[in-house]
Amino acid sequence: MTRPRVNENHTWKSDDAFSDHLELLAAMGQDFAASRDIDKTLEHALVRITEYLDAESGALFILDDEGKTLTCTSCHGATQITGFRLPSDQGIVGRAVQNNAGEIVRDASTDPSFFPGVDRQTGYTTKSILCAPISIHDRRMGAIELINKRGSDPRFTPDDLHILETMASSAGLAILNARMSEALVEKERFERELELAAEIQRSLLPERRDGGFPVHGASIPARLVSGDFYDFFTLPDGRIAFNLGDVSGKGMNAALLMAKTASLYRCLGKTLHHPGQLLARINAEIHETATRGMFVTMIGGIYEPATGLVRLANAGHEPPLLHRRDGRFVAFPAEAPPLGIVPSSDSFDDFPETELNLEGGTLYVFTDGVTEGYLKGGGTLRVEGFEAVIRENAGIPLARRLDNVTALFGGAGRTLRDDVTMLGVDDAEPAKARGAAPGSPTPRAPRAPRAKEEVEEEELVRLEVSARPDRLKLVRRAVSEAAALCGCGETLTRDLILGVDEACQNVIRHAYGDDPGGDMIVEIRRKGDELIIELRDFAPPIDVDKVRPRDLDDVRPGGLGTHLIGQVMDEVAFLPSPPGGGNLLRMVKRIS
Amino acid sequence: MEHQLKEEQGRIVVALKGDVDLQSSPAARSVLLDAVGRGFPIFVDLSDVTYIDSSGIASLVEALQDARKRGSRFALVSVSEAAHRVLQLARLDKVFAIHASLADALSRAE
Repeated sequence: MTRPRVNENHTWKSDDAFSDHLELLAAMGQDFAASRDIDKTLEHALVRITEYLDAESGALFILDDEGKTLTCTSCHGATQITGFRLPSDQGIVGRAVQNNAGEIVRDASTDPSFFPGVDRQTGYTTKSILCAPISIHDRRMGAIELINKRGSDPRFTPDDLHILETMASSAGLAILNARMSEALVEKERFERELELAAEIQRSLLPERRDGGFPVHGASIPARLVSGDFYDFFTLPDGRIAFNLGDVSGKGMNAALLMAKTASLYRCLGKTLHHPGQLLARINAEIHETATRGMFVTMIGGIYEPATGLVRLANAGHEPPLLHRRDGRFVAFPAEAPPLGIVPSSDSFDDFPETELNLEGGTLYVFTDGVTEGYLKGGGTLRVEGFEAVIRENAGIPLARRLDNVTALFGGAGRTLRDDVTMLGVDDAEPAKARGAAPGSPTPRAPRAPRAKEEVEEEELVRLEVSARPDRLKLVRRAVSEAAALCGCGETLTRDLILGVDEACQNVIRHAYGDDPGGDMIVEIRRKGDELIIELRDFAPPIDVDKVRPRDLDDVRPGGLGTHLIGQVMDEVAFLPSPPGGGNLLRMVKRIS
Repeated sequence: MEHQLKEEQGRIVVALKGDVDLQSSPAARSVLLDAVGRGFPIFVDLSDVTYIDSSGIASLVEALQDARKRGSRFALVSVSEAAHRVLQLARLDKVFAIHASLADALSRAE
């Protein structure tokens, strides 16, 4: 009798010692539980089963991931067909897998499913077959086939089948277990790679300079990797080139585009000293190669400490804020579209530049994570809040000022909603050096936050429709009616319609995606001078803490539509998933 | 959305009318790309566009890119206020050649 090969990981009793099948099953279960090599353990289980049921040979077949092919992965006994493949609906083994039921074939030669090719190859004669599928619930994984019972009666019995089926279940669990731990290892590998990517990203940001340097930046990523970036470096003539950008979307693809854009800027910026030209060149590169729908909003600038002059180019980014010495704020809105949207043939046309003199003031460039991200204490800063924080911190060095702003967000263990990134150019010291006595900035008490007026909310419109393109007209009409109720002007009404329409499109195209037929609810309420628009869908909810970056991007896509929503709305935020699931997007438009 | 296509004196005028939205922009896209494919200068009349969304704008951008690749002229004429607002919000109003009318466009050589 064939002895089982000895597996170095296990000790077991001789097969002869199994007095009944329960004992065999228990031993196999222990093997499986202790197994670190599923193939070896299965091979040994097959030996045990074949011997225990007194068959001449046994074969283990595993179904491929597509469920199309069965492959013999191990054999024991008289025939050696390891590596043999057959379509999953052929042969007696295929039939067992398809029906998900074991069977006894007393005389193989008369069974139409019997595949005689193997016998021809091996020179072996198959008489009887016992076959049981390996499956857990409806998940089919393969089958065990035993051939020719030894002894006086060559036929397998129903008891044999019952035992084989029990063994097959146990093997099924072991296979499932092994596959799950493989997936776990893969996930850990992915996480390690993500950490490496994050490390490389951090290395792309400039090192912090000493306190005397007029330019500083700060960035905290919402997740491991970030779509935000900033950089600054001194040019040979003493001027300082700086930039800050925000890649649409989140996750790995945003991070990769961020790395590309930041590297392009650093490389081209060493020789090209005109921000408008530089952004146009980068735009050409990104447009040529970027994934459809992704874009980058970016500000590039050059600061001259000797004069206080800054030249800026703004590609679709949040307007930078100049905090002047007299305490007032001036914003510089974008004059060019985000990078990656406009055709590359425009590359020879420079992006428009703005020139300003800081005159001892500080210029702040920031991403919308600063103005729209969740604060530790709840709520968002908005531009007004950001200005107030800057005022409060005006007396302290720039680097600490920026840190005091980032400290307002997230906090240990709490996920940020968006990357928070800022860069400041502080002209106070250079202005002193230029001899323009800077004096002390006009002291101004930070504006006391307006007391929250107790205003009743009034529901204007509530519309539940199928999330389909042909329902958008209806949505637009509803928004138009709500705007009319509030006496909104023509442009405001158009903007509102556009914003809501684009948000609905995101639901149709991305939240439901390939799974049409879901509903969405548009609800418009008025509260004082604010229109609050809530868009609810019933697609799988997005748990910002749990979803992987890619999943999140599927639902919050970059692209022109998202850009337009940001343009027309004052606030845009996903609220926590409502009871009953789905997603809830809240947009606010001030209509005063 | 409706559209009208006129070929005259070696140029094509495509007029888009009504709402160019997620439902109708695939049609707008194919009309525009077909027109560009014929190799003539293209003038897109947007005077009767009552609404256009990001998918409609994307179709215009794609047609513009295609025309540039072929070296054909591509201009927007008589842009309605509704369409102009969205071009402006997308910051694409400087990217497209935009003319007050077809006559105005024709009086200026590109």
